Amino acid sequence: MINYIYNIPHAIGSNVLNLFAHIGKISIFFYEIIFCTFTLPLYFKTFFNQIIKIGYNSLPVIGLTAFFTGSVLALQIYVGGSRFNAESIVASIVALGITRELGPVIAGLMLAGRVSASISAEIATMKVTEQLDALTTLSTNPIRYLVVPRVLAAMLTLPVLVLIADIIGIMGGFVVATQSLGFIEQSYIKNTFDIIQLNDVISGLIKAAVFGFIVAFMGCYHGYNSTGGAQGVGRSTTKAVVSASILILASNYILTSLVFNS
Amino acid sequence: MTDLILKIEKLHKSFGEKVILNDFNINITRNTSQVIIGGSGTGKSVLLKCILGLIEPDQGIISYNNTPLNRDTRKEINFYDEIGMLFQGAALFDSLTVWENITFAIKSKRKSDLREIALDKIHKVGLDSTVLDLYPSELSGGMQKRVALARAIAKDPQLLFFDEPTTGLDPIMADVINNLINEIIDQVGATAITITHDMESAKKIADKISMLYKGNIIWSGNPGEIECSNNPYVDQFINGRSEGPIKINIKD
Repeated sequence: MINYIYNIPHAIGSNVLNLFAHIGKISIFFYEIIFCTFTLPLYFKTFFNQIIKIGYNSLPVIGLTAFFTGSVLALQIYVGGSRFNAESIVASIVALGITRELGPVIAGLMLAGRVSASISAEIATMKVTEQLDALTTLSTNPIRYLVVPRVLAAMLTLPVLVLIADIIGIMGGFVVATQSLGFIEQSYIKNTFDIIQLNDVISGLIKAAVFGFIVAFMGCYHGYNSTGGAQGVGRSTTKAVVSASILILASNYILTSLVFNS
Repeated sequence: MTDLILKIEKLHKSFGEKVILNDFNINITRNTSQVIIGGSGTGKSVLLKCILGLIEPDQGIISYNNTPLNRDTRKEINFYDEIGMLFQGAALFDSLTVWENITFAIKSKRKSDLREIALDKIHKVGLDSTVLDLYPSELSGGMQKRVALARAIAKDPQLLFFDEPTTGLDPIMADVINNLINEIIDQVGATAITITHDMESAKKIADKISMLYKGNIIWSGNPGEIECSNNPYVDQFINGRSEGPIKINIKD
């Protein structure tokens, strides 16, 4: 019993210390990324490879997700709207919902699952097999060579992916609304264009850039700090996906609050 | 310039309460092949990582050509441009081809020049041009070690580090790697520091052997002297006996 009592402050103390250690490590990692981003050399070949890997290769999964999200949104809004004779709002809600919220969040979460995991596993494996040490002995800063190109590529490609997801998502709603809910094509398109403002799209794209940073940063950070061999690679991958997903949802709330307040 | 290329004084490193290197001292003379032997967990890899700047020591001075090494001085004297390192598991970059791996550290050259350099180095390690465009996963373990050796000598380094160069290889391939190391040290004119627990390899490539035990050097001498060292620790280690002054703590 006495042991349990002694263990409580010990557990609290060690967790608090761990938390501060993590914050410190994340801050140093962040600083090193910023420093390396704004100083030479930049590895353009790696950067373009990452644009293909993160951006182009994610197109199918993000396109499909956006299409089905738009479709189901149209169905749900139609059912909800019909309860107070407001079926006509389907086009407006789909357009606003996709551009302001669902486009960036769904794309961010899909990228967290696909890209954050892959980055983390790749870098953690490189650490386990001493490839990170090898980079250092070959006069190459691993953060400059591995992390910066991935972070920049994710920040640049996710807004483009979100723009495409916005278009496909709205198209998904359009297809369902016109083919199964009886909406007229011309009026659906007119309603969509009438409601959307440039700010709606831009706020989604700003969110996407932030989410892109989170996805790549978390993947790189957990991969880079992986310990414990093959098990460690698995652990770091899980941590990367979970932390990126939670941070995306939390930062989405903060960014939305800022956009609404402004 | 003195004859010493590397001098380590009072090096100390511990992880938590576990002391790995304890007041470690060694002088490495230029153009010699220094082999450090010792059992698993005696601090050989930690020593190498401290020299390379991959681990920060708690105390002590590591001097390269009379310059004390730290993060800043390693950059100032371009330390990493003057060394080559062969990692235990080769540590080749999976996403790059053999020639890209070999010439990875060589900047500001055209692709055709880089391929020429890669070809020259790959010949030095006994391979031919057919492997240049292969990826590491397409090579056997022995070939990967040879490519890693080619990468280590790509910039004609002054100081070469070998971390367990023959581990995981069959005896014939291990002998091939030992011969290559000897040839390369002669060709490049470099100083070599090797850590290993393979006694055949140590005797074959060393000008001088030192034994590391509990974080410090307990014996040094020429390969010919090791059989009659009169040191019970060395005797036990080189004869591979479980009985003797070196106690294996299974918990470690």
